[in-house]
Parts: sequence; structure tokens; C-alpha cells
Amino acid sequence: MKKYFAIIRGAFMVGMVYRLGFIFTILGNLVYLGVAYYLWTSIYETTNVMRGLTFNEAFLYIALGSAVFILLKTYSDWWISREIIDGNIIIDLIKPIDYQLMTLFTNLGFVLTNLIAITIPTALMLVLVFNVTIPYGAGTLLFPFSLIMAFVISYCFDYFTGLLAFYTESTWGLSITKDTIILVFSGALVPLQFFPEGMQKVLMVLPFQTMYHTPLMLFTRPDQPWEALAGMLLVQCGWALGLILLTRLFYLQAIKVLRISGG
Amino acid sequence: MHRITRYLRLYFLIEAQYIKARMQYRADFIISSIGMFFSSLATLGIFWILFGSITELAGWNFMEMVFIYAFYMIAISPMQIIFDHFWQLRYHVTEGTFLKYYFRPLNMMFYYISEMFDLKGLTQLAAGIVLLVYASIQLNIQWTIARVMLLLASLFSASLVQIAVVVSASCAAFWVMNSWPVLSLAWKLREFSPYPMSIFDGAFRVLFTYVIPIGFVAFYPSQIFLRPEQVSPLAYASPLVGIGLFALAYRIWTLGVNSYTGTGS
Repeated sequence: MKKYFAIIRGAFMVGMVYRLGFIFTILGNLVYLGVAYYLWTSIYETTNVMRGLTFNEAFLYIALGSAVFILLKTYSDWWISREIIDGNIIIDLIKPIDYQLMTLFTNLGFVLTNLIAITIPTALMLVLVFNVTIPYGAGTLLFPFSLIMAFVISYCFDYFTGLLAFYTESTWGLSITKDTIILVFSGALVPLQFFPEGMQKVLMVLPFQTMYHTPLMLFTRPDQPWEALAGMLLVQCGWALGLILLTRLFYLQAIKVLRISGG
Repeated sequence: MHRITRYLRLYFLIEAQYIKARMQYRADFIISSIGMFFSSLATLGIFWILFGSITELAGWNFMEMVFIYAFYMIAISPMQIIFDHFWQLRYHVTEGTFLKYYFRPLNMMFYYISEMFDLKGLTQLAAGIVLLVYASIQLNIQWTIARVMLLLASLFSASLVQIAVVVSASCAAFWVMNSWPVLSLAWKLREFSPYPMSIFDGAFRVLFTYVIPIGFVAFYPSQIFLRPEQVSPLAYASPLVGIGLFALAYRIWTLGVNSYTGTGS
């Protein structure tokens, strides 16, 4: 376990080097929150409750979604694929460390940087500038755990996309497509309740909603009955476990095509 | 005039070679184009979902939003296709490879942008044109030759606004080395340009109209075609905004180029 702590620490410190960047990211997020605030104010112009959500709930969902987005955005698909394409992956492969766990913990280090430098300031802004009321309940307690599961699932998608570099060098297109699908179908940009009924049913059985919709609903509706909360968490854990296993299998397949001719 | 034809001829010669080279990677072209297609339509998809619950957004209906969005997609295409190399400016500056652009008897910005021609951006342009035609048929917009010319002029100017914003943001690399944060902020702001500016008030409207004038990328100029009878004077200011901003961005670029000292290696 000790070696993985060293990895987290290393990634955390690398992330902290680019401090100037945080200011711009926070600034960008502040503008995004402002735009979202005005957009949703316009949407709720004529009514108080829409699709079962009040304005406060919908805005909290979207705003918190943007904070989660920044938290999970570690660009790991980009660096994993770059490592594979330029062959530097070999340096990691000869280490006595499992590659998936190594990338997972590196990622965790970056997530911690994001958490301290961007997500927490954003959350503070949300309370101080936009005056949102934060509901409390059993779901609030489950939220941190759900967020960790969301991280694992998001990491699996990044890892899978990164590994595709074993087969193609077109990683720009793959990463952008992955990002778009996740953003649109997970509830990160618009609450899933607003989707057409039929689409909602499909989206609920896909894994994307577990990255945003699940933790965001736990937070905005923390007073749901226990069975509902437990059900959501169970689905999330199932996906996390399943995707870890699937990407492990995929790695074992993909690594076979690797040929590195000297250094 | 002679100078312009010379540059045009050069541009076609360089790009023809570039495209031939890129075409070796056919799978990459297809995958990138698909990625481009989905990502450029994502925000429109979100609008479509939202309009399942509302009929108007700040007085604009869905088809009008499609028109504004299509205008936006076309207006950002020249940036994507012709000026794409500016994304890499920060690498060239920090690694010192930027020095080579000083050594040719050509305009430096021309030489710099000519090194890349983004084929996948053509997907975005095509999708934008299809959507624009579709929306204007649905909205029953009457096109005369004069209005088509006006449309082309507005698109030209709107694309200059977009180019100016990205060029200025990437030129930050000349002074702060890693310009990625500035660039990604500019990129993020750009995504708000198809939003109806009328939903904003106070500080935000001032910000998007005068400070970082992304309102001029799509919303203000497309008003000329959607609601000609109630256009704000701002819409007619848009051609000037584009030219003025581009001149400013070019000035920033010149300052940066003149102050760059290389990396010493």
C-alpha cells in the first residue's frame, strides 16, 4: 500500500506546480455558474416546479455537476494514450506495480489537487455568491462515498479510452467523443429528469448516469426513502466493480499488441 | 493585389501538400470527424432537451435557437480550420521551435497558420450550413441577394471575433509561457456565444458584449436575419467589432513576436 501512497503524493505535487492555472479555472467556472444561473432563471421564468425539480434544486444540481466535472477531469486518457504512443509506457511496465492500480492512484493524486484547488473554492462560491440553500439528510452523508464511486467509474472510461491508443493513434477523436457522450448522457449539463421519458429509461440502465446523476441526486434530494438511496448506491457500486473488471480484461488483450523497438 | 494573389497561391500549394500528408491517416480523419460532429452538436442537443419542457427561452423559440446555433457553428469554423495551429503556439514558444518562423520572407502569421489545415473542422462547417438552411426554411426567412451578401459579411466578421479571441489568448504564451489556462478559459467562454444574450443582465451582459465580446460571434449578428424589424443597433456594429478585434489581436501577436527571445538552445 505504501508504494501507492507515494504515487498519490507524487501526482498531487505535480498537479500543484501549475498554480496559476487554478485561478483561470476557478474564474472560468465562476462564469459558467453565472451563465447557468441566468439560463435556469429564464427556464423557470413562468413556473416554480418543472419535471419535479424546483429552481433551487435544478440549479444546485447543475452547479454541483460543474464542480464534480472539474474534480473528475484529470486528462488521464490523454496522458495514458501519449505514454502508449511514444513508448514511455515501458518504463511503467517494468516497475513491480500493477499498471491499472498505478494509473488509478496517479489519477487520485490529480483529483486531490483539483479538490483542494478548484472544487472546494467553487463550492464556497456557490454558497457565498449564489446563495443556494443546501438541503440535508441521509443522502448528504452518502454523497462523499458516491463521489468516490463516481471517480472510479469515470477513471475506468478514461483508462479504456487511453488504452485504445494500442490500436489507433487517433486519440483526439476518441477522447472528445467519450467526453461528449458522458457530458450529455450523464446529467452533467442538464438534469436527467428533463430528458424525454423513453430516453430516461434507456439512460438509467447505462453507466453514464452513475457518474453525475447519482451523486447529484443524493445531494439535491437527500431525504429520499432508504430503499431508494441504497438502490442508487448499489447500482453505482455494481458499475464500478464491473467496469474495473472489464477494463482489466481489456488491458490483458490490448497489451499483446504492444511492440516497442528499443529506446 | 499582386501580394494577395501570391499569398493565396502559396496557401493552396502548402495546404495541398499538407492534406495529402494527412490523408495517409484515413482512420484518424474519420474518427476525428465523428468526434468533431458530436462535440459541436452537444450544446444544441442540450437546447433540444430543454425545449421539451419550455416553449421559449427569453422570447426565442427552438427553431430560432437552431438558426443562431448554426450561425455559431459556421462562424467558429474558420478559426478551427485555418487558425488551428494557434493551439500549439505555447509548445513552439516554450520549446524554442518558434524561432524558425522568423526566417522566411513571408508574413509571420501567414507562415505560422499555413502549417496546419484542420480537416475535421470541415465536418463542423458542413453541419452548420445544413442546419442554417434547414432553420431558415422552417422559419420562412426570405432570402434576397442583398441579404445573402449581408449574411456572408456578418459571418466573416463573426469569425474574425472568434479568431481574435483565440489568437490573443494563445499569444499569452509569449509572456507567461504556459498559456493553456488562458486559452481554455477563452474556449470555455466561446461556448456561451449561441446563448440568447437577453437572458443575461447587468455584469454578464456587459462582459459578453464589451469585455469578451462573444455575443458578436452569433447572437447579435443573427438578429439581423431573425428579427430584422427589432434589431438592436449593436447588431449592425458587428462588422466593425470583428475587424477592430482582429486588428487588436494582430497587434498583440506582433508585440509578442517582437519580444520573443527564444530559449537559447
